[in-house]
Order: sequence, then C-alpha cells, then structure tokens
Amino acid sequence: MKLKQGHLAIFILPAMILYTIFIIYPLISSLFLSLYSWSGVGEKIFIGFKNFQEIFNGFFRKEFFNALFHNLYFFIVVTTLELGLGFFIALMLATKIKGSRVFKVVTYIPNAIPIVLVGFMWGLFLNPQVGLINQTFRALGLDSLAQPWLGDPNLALSTIMLVNVWRNLGFYVLVLFAAILNVSPDLIDAAYIDGANNWKVIWHIIFPLTFSTIRTLIILLFIWSFNTFDIIYSLIGVQAGPIRSTDVLGTLFYRTAFGGLGSSATDMGLGAAVTVCIFSIVMPVSVLYVYLIEKKKRSI
Amino acid sequence: MKKFILLLIVLVLIVTMLVPSVLAESKNTVTIWSWRGQDAEVWQKVENEMKKQGVDIKIEFTPVMQTEYDSKVNLSLQTMTGPDLVYSRRLPGGYMQTLIENSLYLPLNEKIDLSNFPQAALNSVTYNGKAYGVPFAVQVVGIFYNKDIYAKYNLSIPKTWDELVSNAEVLQKNGITPFFVAGKEAWILNMQHAMCGVSILGPEWIKDLTEGKTNFLDPKWIDLNRKLNDLKKYYQDGFMANSNPDQDAAFAFGQSAMVFFGIWGYQNWKTFNPDINVGYFMVPPARADQKPYAYTYMDGAIAMTSSVKNKELANKVLEFVATPKFGTIFSNVTFNISAVPGAETPDDPLFKIVVDAYNNHASPYVYWVGSVFTTQKPSLGEDVLSPGMQAMYLGKITPEELAKMAQDAISQWYVPLMKK
Repeated sequence: MKLKQGHLAIFILPAMILYTIFIIYPLISSLFLSLYSWSGVGEKIFIGFKNFQEIFNGFFRKEFFNALFHNLYFFIVVTTLELGLGFFIALMLATKIKGSRVFKVVTYIPNAIPIVLVGFMWGLFLNPQVGLINQTFRALGLDSLAQPWLGDPNLALSTIMLVNVWRNLGFYVLVLFAAILNVSPDLIDAAYIDGANNWKVIWHIIFPLTFSTIRTLIILLFIWSFNTFDIIYSLIGVQAGPIRSTDVLGTLFYRTAFGGLGSSATDMGLGAAVTVCIFSIVMPVSVLYVYLIEKKKRSI
Repeated sequence: MKKFILLLIVLVLIVTMLVPSVLAESKNTVTIWSWRGQDAEVWQKVENEMKKQGVDIKIEFTPVMQTEYDSKVNLSLQTMTGPDLVYSRRLPGGYMQTLIENSLYLPLNEKIDLSNFPQAALNSVTYNGKAYGVPFAVQVVGIFYNKDIYAKYNLSIPKTWDELVSNAEVLQKNGITPFFVAGKEAWILNMQHAMCGVSILGPEWIKDLTEGKTNFLDPKWIDLNRKLNDLKKYYQDGFMANSNPDQDAAFAFGQSAMVFFGIWGYQNWKTFNPDINVGYFMVPPARADQKPYAYTYMDGAIAMTSSVKNKELANKVLEFVATPKFGTIFSNVTFNISAVPGAETPDDPLFKIVVDAYNNHASPYVYWVGSVFTTQKPSLGEDVLSPGMQAMYLGKITPEELAKMAQDAISQWYVPLMKK
C-alpha cells in the first residue's frame, strides 16, 4: 500500500514543528542577533558585521582564536586517545579474554555518570593538597608528580581532556567492539591459515573493514569537540582559567552572551556571532557526515 | 490487565511529577536568590518570625554560585522566570543600573521605611531619586588569622608589611602554611590587591589616582604588585588550583595561619570548626608611621524583580528586611555587619574588632567594590586585577606589566587618566 503524500506530511508534522521551534528558529534568530549589539536587556542596536570584525580583527580576536585553538587541540588529542584506546580495548574484548564480559560493563560505567557529577568527583580527586591523585603519588614517593592539575595553565586543559576520555571511552569501546564483531570470522580464519600473524590480520583485515565506523566516529567527535562546554564548566567554571588556558568556543560564548564574573565583554550579539562561527565550522562536517551515510545506504 | 496496570503506573508518575510544581507555585511562597549560600538559616528564621506576626508565608531561598550569579539573574529576568526577590549588587555599578533602566528591578513601595539608614547606604540603592532595594550588609575585608597558631609561635599582630612577612617566615620554617589563597577564583586575588592597597598605598594616593594626579604606572602601584608577587612563596603549594571552599576548610581546620578574606567567611569557619579561634587585623602599611586602613563596602541590597509573582507578600518581606529585627537575625546568624541601623550585634570578640574597623578605620577612598574604576568596561576589578593577578602569580607577566595593563585598560574610558 503506497502512502499518500498528505498522510506522510501529517505523520512528520509534529516532529517538524518541534524541530522548527527548537532548532530552526533559534538558528535563524542567532544569525540575525549576531548583527546587533545587545546587552540582553533594553534596545538592540544594529551594527552590521561589526561583531565579526571584532572577532577576526578587533579586541576579541585574541580571545576567540585562543578558544578556537583549544577546540582543535581538544579534538585531535581526544580523538586519538578515545579511538586509539577504544580500538585496542575492543580488540582485546573481541578475543574473548577471561573476564571480558565484566570488563565491558566496567568500561561503560563512567559513561553512565552525569557530567556534573564527573566534574565534582574529579575536582576532588585533583585537589592539589588532599586529592586522591596527588596523595597516591606522594604515598608512592613520587612527590614530583603531584601537580596543581587544574591550576597550572600548561596542564589544566590536558587534565580536562583525560577526564573526558575516562568518561567517554566506554562508548567508543562498545561501538568499535560491535564493528569488529561484524567482520566475518571466515576472513580472519583464512588469513591465519595463509600464515598471517596477528598484526597483519588487524592491519589488513580488521582495520579496513571497521574503517567506515571509525570515520563516522571521527566526524562525530569533531562535532562534539567543537560543542564541548559541560566538562570544562563543571571542573573549572565559565571563566575557563587559569588565565583562559581552558577556554573553548562554548565557554567563550556563554561568558560573552550571559556575563558573569570574569567576562571581558558582555554582549548577546557578540555571543551570537561566536555561535555563528561555531556553526560555520561544524555545519560542513555535519553535511559530510550525512553525505557519507547516504552514500553507504545507496551502496548496500 | 497488564496494559491497565501499566497505564495506572504512568498516571501515578505524571501526578507525582505535577504535584511538586503545583506546590512550588503556591501563592504563599516568596522566592529569593542570592550568591550567599550561608544565608539559608537567616531566611528560615525570617519565615518563622513573620509567621509569628501572623503572615502566612513560605520563603524559598536559592543560593547560586557567586561566579554565575549575575548571568543567571540577568537571563531569568529577561525570560520572566526569575524569583520574587534577589540580592542585588550596588550602585554605582553597571549590573544594577542596567537592570533598573530596563525595569527589571522595581522601585520600593513607600511603606518600606528606609529613613533610619545612613545616606551612604541609601546612595548604593538609589537611582533617579527612587530606592531599588533594602541594603542588607556591610562587609569588612582584611587578614583573618588563627589566634592559636599565632600564640603557639609567639607572633604578634604585624604593624608593618615587613613584620607580616617575618611572621610568615617563622610559620613556614615551622611547617605551617602562612597563607591559604584560593588562586582559582580570580575575584579573591582582586580583593586581596584592593585590601592591601588601602593600607600600603593609602587613601590619599587612591584619591590622587581618582583625580588623575597620579596613575597606575606610579612606582608605588608597581611596588604593591611586587610585594604581593613576592608574598606568594608563603602560599600553599598549588594555590592556583584551590577554590574558596578549599580555603574555608583549610583555614577552619588549622591547616593555614592566615587568609586574605572578608568577615562573611567567619560563619563558615565556625560551622566547620566551632573551636577555631579567629582574629582579624587590617593589612599593615609599608611603614610604621603610616596608619592601616580597612576596606569596607556596602555588599548589596534585597531588591524586588519584575518577575515577582507574590508582590504583596514580597513587599511584606522587604518591610521586614528594613527593620532592626531582621538586622539582628542577619548579624547573629552570619556574623556579618547588618546595614540596618539598630540591629543587635552578636557578643563575639572578632565581630567587635571588625565593627571597630568599619566604624573607625574604613578607607574613604577605594578602587574595587564601590569605586569609579569598576563602573565601566574594561573594569579595574574584573578585567585587570582578576586576570592580571592570576597571570602575575603564574609568572606570565611582571608587576610592571600588570601596572601597564591597568593603565592601558582604564585610560581607555576614565578621563582623568587619559592625559597621562
């Protein structure tokens, strides 16, 4: 039975309404707001592209590019660790080592903890005087390794990334584990019969056949890295200290749009301009993701 | 049957979800937001007192993190989801002025009697002839010290900066952390600079700065920056990773001898450790022939917002807040100086010393809260001293560069400093 177009429209209408209200309208609204100067109360003043001028060539340039660089750094390091470690652990689980069932659950547990609680817990663990991490180092006689993890501008962002990896690793392990299980065992058996060693099986069979999953995860990680905010907010706060060493576009936007202690500029129009920049970076990658999914569907 | 049971469970869940929200919107509830988490007990007592007076009221007090407070209030008032009453900042000040100009704070009702308040307090809440809040506290900041630790090492209250450093040296040699500093919270470093400035630079120098007779490149300002930078070797290891709660706990449990803080911390320290013996002294001046001064300021006011749902009841709360009874409750719970004249103050030795500092040694000229240098952006507090002190302590900039940062920032908009 072929569905009439009118009936199709009725079925997708509720979702379209919600999508328009919560996605399309705020997006268009932000685009327009980025052309104004507005403190959040009172009159909006039209200033054209001045906000973008300040971002790329004005007083806001240093802060914006500092945050953008941190997002890129975040993406590269987190992707390498989460996918690298995730693939390695997934491979181990796929070999059905003893305790793999328990280990699968244990790896995923941090992913189930709310991010605010993760920030609270790790804030305590990383306390320079009484935190678990430094106390452990001191107990082992490794005093020189006890650092002010969230108070050193050279360490703070890296520390936050490691906490992020700890929290999210389980998800990537499970996804990659499923992808590895999809590789036909006959191919692997045939390779071993032909004299291939473990490394050759992984590099020439398993990795190529799971690459489409890895590619999808890289794209998703790119999008999530440029939207990152919550882990930094819960561990450091929106000031993104010390001295903006943990600042990303998300915290920059929040601080600029909504103000609060430590905001160097408080203007919703300028904040909206930051979100337009984030959108401009993330959107092409999202389009690529959809294109790749469609391409895969057509090839099946 | 299974479907029926499932439907029943869903209905019960929906009803239990709705009930709290219905209760929350009770017409007898007045909601108040503040950055001061320690005031919860104050409002519990206010509610009890008002009930005794025959007012059917429930006060719902919500503390919000200090660093997020202004943004949360702004956002909630714009979307009409804010509370009935808020703790507002003071005038002159961009935050409060903007909210008043956009009718997000409402002028006080004539029934609220502010006639007994000193003019200085009323200046902090009055705009275009109307009062927009009831002042609630006066704050005094300075150095709070652990008297038992001081007595153990035979230390006396320093009369000069060099004596303060000597005390710190003795403490450090004996394995005691001289100062616990919450470096992660930049506003505390800003406050530290300001409380040291009123004694070391002196009110006359600050007056000259305000009038443009000197500027931030003055060697005295640079020398103050240097003194603070040199003092950091007496702070706890990793101090840039510590926040205010860490500081409160460390000081309360005797892990450090001194903190640069305000009287509002006393309540928390006593709560953590009722046996702590706390003393106070003003930051000592550079030389023995100079007078020390205390940094004091009106902390803010209780204001009514445009989101008010129970206006009549909220007005009753404000009427009560303007009475000595409220001041008595406030002072005795929080050990802060109430802005309400006639309040009975706690019989506490530390409190008496702090009140004396406020009454007799307050600096008439300041450059942090309540000063002209924080009324526009870039602000001396938020945009210079907060990030600048962090950068200096981390070794990213020198004391001279911090001075230049201040001069470059403030001379952008403050006319008396533009010509220098």
